Amino acid sequence: MKVVAITGKGGTGKTAVAAMLIRWLVDRDATILAIDADPDSNLPEALGDVVGQTLADQREFLLEERDNLPPDTDKELLLESRIYSILSEQHGYDLLVMGRPEGSGCYCFTNNLLRNIMDRIIKNYDLVIIDTAAGLEHLSRGIIRDVDELVVVTDGSRRGLRTAERIRDIEKELDLKVRHMFVIFNKVTPENRERLNKYAQELGLEVAGMVPFDEDIARFDLDGKALSELSGTSPAVIEMENIIMKLGI
Amino acid sequence: MADEFPFEISPMFEGERVRKDDMYVELAGPKSKGFELVNAVETDEIEDGKFTLIGPDISDMEEGGRYPLAMIYRIAGELVEPDLEAIVERRNHDFQNYIQGVMHLNQRYDVWLRINKDSIAKGLNSFEDIAKATMMLFTNELPFIEKIEATYITDMEKVEEELAKAMERYAARDERTRNLHDEDVDTFYGCSLCQSFAPTSVCVITPDRIALCGAINWFDGRAAAKVDPEGPQFPIEKGELLDEIGGEYSGVNEVAQKLSGGEYNRIKIHSFFEFPHTSCGCFEVVGFYMPEVDGIGWVDRDYTGMAPNGLAFSTMAGQTGGGKQVIGFLGVGVNYFRSPKFIQADGGWNRVVWMPKVLKDKVLADIPAEIVDKVATEEDAQDLDTLKEFLNEKDHPVVKNWVADEDEEVDEDEESTGTSTAMPVFGMPDPAMQLNIPPMTGGGSGGIKITLKNAKVSIDKIILSSKK
Repeated sequence: MKVVAITGKGGTGKTAVAAMLIRWLVDRDATILAIDADPDSNLPEALGDVVGQTLADQREFLLEERDNLPPDTDKELLLESRIYSILSEQHGYDLLVMGRPEGSGCYCFTNNLLRNIMDRIIKNYDLVIIDTAAGLEHLSRGIIRDVDELVVVTDGSRRGLRTAERIRDIEKELDLKVRHMFVIFNKVTPENRERLNKYAQELGLEVAGMVPFDEDIARFDLDGKALSELSGTSPAVIEMENIIMKLGI
Repeated sequence: MADEFPFEISPMFEGERVRKDDMYVELAGPKSKGFELVNAVETDEIEDGKFTLIGPDISDMEEGGRYPLAMIYRIAGELVEPDLEAIVERRNHDFQNYIQGVMHLNQRYDVWLRINKDSIAKGLNSFEDIAKATMMLFTNELPFIEKIEATYITDMEKVEEELAKAMERYAARDERTRNLHDEDVDTFYGCSLCQSFAPTSVCVITPDRIALCGAINWFDGRAAAKVDPEGPQFPIEKGELLDEIGGEYSGVNEVAQKLSGGEYNRIKIHSFFEFPHTSCGCFEVVGFYMPEVDGIGWVDRDYTGMAPNGLAFSTMAGQTGGGKQVIGFLGVGVNYFRSPKFIQADGGWNRVVWMPKVLKDKVLADIPAEIVDKVATEEDAQDLDTLKEFLNEKDHPVVKNWVADEDEEVDEDEESTGTSTAMPVFGMPDPAMQLNIPPMTGGGSGGIKITLKNAKVSIDKIILSSKK
């Protein structure tokens, strides 16, 4: 079991990369837990999936209802069951959407329960792929502990690279015990390929792959079509092969 | 011993999830019906190890199907009593998860099971195997169970019929647990989750006092401490009862000393003024003393307006939080309002003069009938003057504490008009009312240590006199 967190600045295509990775791995018979941990992202859509309820909804349910439950209710069991019930179970992968950030109350106890529950759940999968916002909120709350590989997806822009740098600093600050940090360049063109490699070297970021700009992805995106239906011969999908080798998953 | 079953049994299978792709059948759960129930009975009523199935067995079930399931265990033994039913029942979850290929989730009427395809392939075709393995684990792990009998039901009509009866048992049990009080247990629970930002916070969770965050009741503490006694929730042996009304126990004091790093060595869990519980910062509601009316107001996190003392929740929370004992302020969880021991050292509800309407409505049923109309909300009083008027008009119990010196009262009214919306000034209590300042501890013989940290309390008069 390995936990891979995919992050990056909005608009760089991190969700597209996550969806393509999941698709590639499912085709090779891995059992995946896909976690959408970015309130602004749309991993379910990219996977062609519709998810009703989120983990945050379950957390709020507990907060609302806790005084009305039988006093000796085991809240960890209750929460675990509710989370299992909102997992979207697909062929080869289950999808969990984390949902909106916490409200103003105290979440210490609930998050502690969630930590235990997530520890148990993720052991059931070959791979956990987390699509997470650049602030790494759910990781910083420790609900998901021990990320093995942290992958920053960035486009060719300077700002995207700066985000990668910042994420590396956050990671250090949070002491997440990440084993490796990689960067994946997305929407790469023949013109900027060399320069991006050089930038990455200067910043001391290890490159896991360079996903070429792909007309199909842009078109799928516009049509709202699931990226998991991309053709296996799409240049972007082919690059996944290299990335997976590099990540060792 | 486990050889007789077509599956392996081990705690290492706990947490094993049966995914939809791998599932043979789903039992009970959110999309069907079912329950688990343990009943204590007399020894001669049951036959040890007996299993009865009402409805189709696993071998009769269609692959990928969903069926109802009720699991009823009847237990007997010299030490078996109805109070143990709930604890024994919860273990069904553990034991069934020890069985490889069986996933058991949740509790009571929310149970949800799945059986893996692999288990069927390995020869699991009857509930009898699951029931017998579970009963074996019950008697092995809980030796006070001398005899056990199981009935499983997979027939929807019969499940519904039995569920209705089970609901009555659960309701009776809930009634008993709701009536559990501090004096009925030997162990309280502590929680150190808040210590990350409130290092001296000592959170004591008792049957009559929920954690300040409102998230952890005594049963939650017990469940968590059982799973991991070294974890953030841990047992506190009550020790000797030192003050029944205030709720002071030697065991709690010892833990307070340890947890607060020596900052506090006494805590009275049902007191507002004397050695109150520390306030972490997570609390749902903050209580504030208003010397002008000798009453206590409460304001919750969701109320964005000003309390009659001119302060908002956030301001008072800032002053109170951090894991300190702050005389005059107290953080609590909403459910503490439902406690029969609610600040009983300081008059309980008779001392409560104000709370936001939404909060009052939430706990309305638990406010004593004789006081319920006398507690003001923002609709009745927005500042100290209107509050005074309201309390006077309703003849709130605190009013009789004022009347001793009516003249001075008038003077003070004039004086305080300008300050009633500013910072609280605790400098004008009516001489007739006594602010219950706790005796400063740490005195001993020779020398006195008074530590006031971040104090905003001004005192009109302190009289020190030797004990007669």
